[in-house]
Amino acid sequence: MNERTRAGVIFTYVCAALVVAVCLFPFLWMALSSIKVLRELYTIPPVWIPTVPTLENYRTVLFDSNIPRYFLNSVIISVGSTTLALSIAIFAAYGFARFRFRGKAYYQSFILIGQLLPTAAIIVPLFVTLRYLGLVNTYLGLILVYMIITLPLSVWMLTSYFRAIPVELEEAAIIDGSSRLGVLFRVTLPLSIPGIIAVLVYSFITTWNEFIFALTFATDSSVKTLPIGLAEFTTEFDTDWGAVMAASMIMTIPIAVLFLSMQRLFIGGMTAGATKG
Amino acid sequence: MTRISPGLLFALPALIVLTMLVAYPIMYTALLSVTDQQGNLVGLQNFQRVMQARTTPVAFYNTLVWVGGSVVLQVVLGTATAILLNEKFAGRAIVRSIAVIPWVIPGIVGALTWAWMFHTEFGIINYMLTAPGIVDEPVGWLVSRNTVMPAMIAINVWKLFPFVAIMVLAGLQAIPKDLYEAARVDGAGFWDEVWHVTLPQVRPVIVAVTLLLVIWALNHITTIFAITRGGPANSTLITPIQIFRLAFESVQFHQAAALSVMFFAATMVIVAVYIKVLSAKEEKSL
Repeated sequence: MNERTRAGVIFTYVCAALVVAVCLFPFLWMALSSIKVLRELYTIPPVWIPTVPTLENYRTVLFDSNIPRYFLNSVIISVGSTTLALSIAIFAAYGFARFRFRGKAYYQSFILIGQLLPTAAIIVPLFVTLRYLGLVNTYLGLILVYMIITLPLSVWMLTSYFRAIPVELEEAAIIDGSSRLGVLFRVTLPLSIPGIIAVLVYSFITTWNEFIFALTFATDSSVKTLPIGLAEFTTEFDTDWGAVMAASMIMTIPIAVLFLSMQRLFIGGMTAGATKG
Repeated sequence: MTRISPGLLFALPALIVLTMLVAYPIMYTALLSVTDQQGNLVGLQNFQRVMQARTTPVAFYNTLVWVGGSVVLQVVLGTATAILLNEKFAGRAIVRSIAVIPWVIPGIVGALTWAWMFHTEFGIINYMLTAPGIVDEPVGWLVSRNTVMPAMIAINVWKLFPFVAIMVLAGLQAIPKDLYEAARVDGAGFWDEVWHVTLPQVRPVIVAVTLLLVIWALNHITTIFAITRGGPANSTLITPIQIFRLAFESVQFHQAAALSVMFFAATMVIVAVYIKVLSAKEEKSL
């Protein structure tokens, strides 16, 4: 690298600074706006650092809006759909990872297509069907529909995870007289815990952020999820931007925590693999 | 009766659930698209009505602009960022973690934060442009027909270029070092290396990511719907939003179904190409 010019080095740092600014600034601006008083939010030139930081916006969101309820709805629906999808996906992934059977490639493509499906193209029939079953505006309705998103993803991720586990471990258990299900639950699953956690986190984040299905199938405030609740804040003519930014922070925090913990997990998994050679 | 293979037995619950949730709705859309409210077959009437609606070509054009603009910029900026993050410089690890923030932040949160930053009167973007005199007066980013789509594309690019960067960076790290050494022996400079060594090596990754981005952009609703709902004057109306509004605001389920069928067919062509590219890549790596 010694022939790299000084200008090149400076260029690298300028670009890096630009990337940092572009990626970080909106998040910082959201955080700063959420603790500003009204007077400092709506003023030109803008106040960069709030002089009188306040939690008033958070108080508004937590006590004078439906956001806490939507938060709870989001948790119930995301957890429900994530666990339901995982429990079905474990079997499917094991079947795909460990057995040969006729049409396997087609079944796998079918599951992949589910993941890539244009969701807008199926909201109409799904709505008609859910209405017929009385599942519009229920937790169960959204939990089921979210399996369209979580199930393919979970099957896909777990299949590659199971494949990476040495088959010899399972064969040893079978020789010891264990059944296929016994092998899955006593050998494969305990070895796959990092993979399962990764799948759980990923499905949780995707359903937590999902917008169009929630918009269509949860129109009543008793089941509305956070993304819809947030979007509602701004559809009125008089938007309280301080409160919107506070609500945005509240919605982001669980995702940030999950992501940071997952990052550690991934790094842990990678280094563990490296030491084992 | 032949015995069902245990593998298929394991996969069966997932396949049944997905058939009910995916295959059945697709068939049902097809059925809805050729019937009327009383359930009578009406041939292609719904399709004709949709095609005659003035909003349909507008939405189609907007979708092309939205997908094209988003994907091109995401790929170019994402690849450039990946090349940058692959260079050695102090603080690289921190820059790498910060670069994924837009991708991690929930889509709706990103959209609303940008809507606040694009605010005509009190938005920070207009302040940054007017204060040093780059523009004379505040731009009505989200209310003017000429600026609203570029603003939406900018938000979408911001959201997803980190994803491209992560994927391409993984590809870059897999390039054997001796390729660069060979290039350097031949007297290649930095840009020669990028053009003749780096990019050809990560081309398969870029192709796969591009197709995925096209599919995502086609399916994307959150940003536009949360900020403009397709307005002003339909200037950000893309086909997925048109489907939603046709079905749930105009309550024309059958016309919406007809539009869904056409949208679905167009998307599936791209999905088919994507799967083909992906499986070709897997075969190569085996």
